[in-house]
Amino acid sequence: MAFREINSKMVEATVLPGQRLFSQRGAMLAYKGDVSFTPNLQGGQGGLMSMIGRRVTGEATPLMTVEGSGTVFFGHGGHHVHVINLTGDTLYVEADRLLAFEGTLRQGTMFMGSQGGVMGLVRGQVTGQGLFTTTLQGQGSVAVMAHGGVFEIPITPQRPVHVDPQAYVAHHGDVRNKLSAALGWREMVGRGSGEAFQLELSGNGTVFVQASEEKL
Amino acid sequence: MFRLQGSKVLAVDMTGDAVKAKNGSMVAYDGQMNFKKLTGGGEGLRGMVTRRLTGEQMTVMEVKGHGTCWFADRASEINLVGLQGDKLYVESSNLLATDAGLRTGTTFTGLRGASQGNGLFTTTVEGHGQAAIMSDGPAVALRVSPQYPLIVDPGAYIAHQGNVRQSFQSGVTFRTFFGEGGGEAFQIRFEGDGLVYVQPSERNTIAGDL
Repeated sequence: MAFREINSKMVEATVLPGQRLFSQRGAMLAYKGDVSFTPNLQGGQGGLMSMIGRRVTGEATPLMTVEGSGTVFFGHGGHHVHVINLTGDTLYVEADRLLAFEGTLRQGTMFMGSQGGVMGLVRGQVTGQGLFTTTLQGQGSVAVMAHGGVFEIPITPQRPVHVDPQAYVAHHGDVRNKLSAALGWREMVGRGSGEAFQLELSGNGTVFVQASEEKL
Repeated sequence: MFRLQGSKVLAVDMTGDAVKAKNGSMVAYDGQMNFKKLTGGGEGLRGMVTRRLTGEQMTVMEVKGHGTCWFADRASEINLVGLQGDKLYVESSNLLATDAGLRTGTTFTGLRGASQGNGLFTTTVEGHGQAAIMSDGPAVALRVSPQYPLIVDPGAYIAHQGNVRQSFQSGVTFRTFFGEGGGEAFQIRFEGDGLVYVQPSERNTIAGDL
């Protein structure tokens, strides 16, 4: 495992020669050993097309490449940090929640509208998360940030999970997501329960939820 | 059926029963759930009027269904409180959820409320069941017994339960007004038999400035 949780808000990463890490720019807190940090103009990896893709989609959180040999401590803005280990599947996460991830993972962007059709588009607008999300695929670990602690809910075909769009952090696995609206006339006249929109996740996988409805 | 998932998330397992929770505090659920806003805290017209008058306006929703529902609010720490027919006094801003069977109401707190900056009224929860209260940092439950009264900083107080009398005490002297106060000018004194929940943080109060 590349990331070790030091406490709820800090992770430690071991960097070995020939193995790269990517992290959000400015997220390094301290390091030991011989480690270099280079700003990553492409905002990750995947070549030119991927870079243009990210620029256009607004999923272009500035990243840096971390190389060398030593130990690096990451943390950012006092947010809670949660480590997710991927074993070949794809993680869907907003770019601004990515603290650091291993170089073995392939980075990409996904158009949210491609899942859930029109509601996918609405989802981006309603949640303020935009229409695109970042994907990371392969074998390796990822450190994500959240406001408050993160907990996991398993998604099984029999039990779809509904998440408050503001509390949603990330998900992985073979999962379909769609925005479900509980809009009745009560919501329209401002007498709703405050739970008008929910993200419905179904299939097989895991969803990560933060203990707060505040954005980062 | 209330359980903590970590210290900041409340998980409630439901089989057709209901809970009352702070509006908008649901973060996720599985199974089948229904969310309904309760007018004025769910005690009919009288409750609503009291709430309007007292300013203890907590908007509450009723969640009913089959499955697990998770609640959280701004990453606050959550504490479970069991009630066996006794009464819990808590600021509405610190109340996250209660069993639907518990009755909620408001009471006059007198000077204490004013010193906390929370207003003159507080929320009461009564009956048999569980309640989830929130705190800034993990709260401790301190016992009050007839021999040992407890004195608490108004800004660190979050709730109390049991047969407890509270009074307000002031350590204001001429020094306070010359800017040489100890910073602990006001306290709440609890006497009787019960529990007082205290958080490791002090919200801003008028008293705190003295």
